[in-house]
Amino acid sequence: MNPIALIARKEAGELLLSTRGLAWLLALAVIMSVLSLLLVSNTELSLLDNAQVVYMVMGTVTALGGLLAVVLGSDTIAGERERGSLLPLLLAPVTPSQIVFGKMGGQVVGWSVMYLLSLPYVWAVGSSGQNLVQSVVYLALLGTPVVLGFGFLGIALSARLRNVRSALLTSLIMLMLMTSPLLLGPSLRQSTIGKWFDALNPFSAAVNTFDSVVIDSQPLGMQTTRLVVALIWLAAMAALAVRSVRKMEI
Amino acid sequence: MLIEIRGLKLNLGGSPILRNVNLALEKGQILGLLGPNGAGKSTTISVITALRAPTAGNVRVLGLDPVAETLQLHRRIGALAEDSGFYDWMNASSYLQWMASLYGLGARKAEIPALLHRVGLDARNQGAIATYSRGMRQRLGLARALINRPELLILDEPTNGLDPRGRREIHDVLLNLSAQHGVGILLCTHLLDDVERLCTRIGIIAHGETLLEGSIADILSTQGAAVRYRLRVAGDQPSTLPNGVTLLARAGEWWHVGLGGSGDPANAWRSLIDAGWRIEEIHREGGGLEDLYMSVTEGGEASI
Repeated sequence: MNPIALIARKEAGELLLSTRGLAWLLALAVIMSVLSLLLVSNTELSLLDNAQVVYMVMGTVTALGGLLAVVLGSDTIAGERERGSLLPLLLAPVTPSQIVFGKMGGQVVGWSVMYLLSLPYVWAVGSSGQNLVQSVVYLALLGTPVVLGFGFLGIALSARLRNVRSALLTSLIMLMLMTSPLLLGPSLRQSTIGKWFDALNPFSAAVNTFDSVVIDSQPLGMQTTRLVVALIWLAAMAALAVRSVRKMEI
Repeated sequence: MLIEIRGLKLNLGGSPILRNVNLALEKGQILGLLGPNGAGKSTTISVITALRAPTAGNVRVLGLDPVAETLQLHRRIGALAEDSGFYDWMNASSYLQWMASLYGLGARKAEIPALLHRVGLDARNQGAIATYSRGMRQRLGLARALINRPELLILDEPTNGLDPRGRREIHDVLLNLSAQHGVGILLCTHLLDDVERLCTRIGIIAHGETLLEGSIADILSTQGAAVRYRLRVAGDQPSTLPNGVTLLARAGEWWHVGLGGSGDPANAWRSLIDAGWRIEEIHREGGGLEDLYMSVTEGGEASI
């Protein structure tokens, strides 16, 4: 088997078979369960319409996916260094590029698991409406580059900062900055800075797309710019991760 | 020549870490790399294993340039770091299978139970590595280093955490690899007992410089580092001593003698017995490699 696939398989195993990885997935499932229960209750009471609820679940899944990605990413290099398992990997006949692509493969598996985990919740809140299919498709289309970008950022910081705590803290601050549109009020988002921030922020690109397609029923053709922003974010973070791992010192 | 290092220099962050390291290791030899903490031993190993590029000097490992031919080198060497880590959620067999695949040696997976047995681990133990003791982890680390049947083995404190039986078993594995399979071993350790038992050559490094390098017998001989023994001798003894044995002191039936560094103790005792000595007990008191190490590295810990 190719070294990249082997490292990716190991990363996936760490998420799906280790106590720590399973605990993270369980925590995410609990958060999604509580949120879905609250949203379904609100829908039943006609406090929120179905499209609004689906939009909120999609935004939350993307944010939680980003959270899982930065936690996994921050641990990939620095965590292995702290646990002493990085050195055997560096002494094996694999290149730094193969190591980083394998780690990226692990991120893809992590997001795939998170995405599959979220589908029952999306179905639970969206099955009574008209936009279940769009929500599942657009969550994959926009959520994937945004979440993986955060994961690759975590890998880059993990290689550069050399310890998990610093890498995780920095990644979380970046994630909070990017997800701040969820916390900003409509007036702040309409200011000049807010508009620029919205236009360049990949997380904004994802949630604004969810808003447009699920609530406003706009077609995909009108979301091209946002999709490009998300893809540029993914490519930039992938390049940063590759460069950081290639340049890292033991 | 498995390792050939001449005039190795390495600067990190503008500071010289290695100033002038010289080492040589041939097939089937075991080289003990000694030196105080911070002397530059681990950094030297990192250059040999291509984890760092030298600033200057000539480094050839298995005839390869570690910087330019890293992957070819990694395919042919095995290494065990001092604080070696594993994926704790795996068990020993699955971990070694994964490592074998990473080396492109998937076909050797069938050999893994024998390899585990060889280092003293039970292949039937399917428990997670997280539950392993320090000694078991050391054994697993050694198994990992042997997974690709290396021509050169680089070991940093391989007997750390092992009980006396485990230590002896690992010694036997290393001696067998060296003698039967011609594997060259670079052993980095603070345990001089290990060095005396295993090594044919030593290199002593301090302050990033090789202070001494060569075969143990030659070094002890040229440095005049005699080994001291205490003998209990019954009855009257002849006054003459064979060549190579020096009388240091006598207290009743106890005789304190020195044995030249190049002398074989067995020959010396045979000579004494032939000369009419009735030796009842022999105790080693020190000297030899330990005294040599202390005198060469005098000045305390290195500043780097």
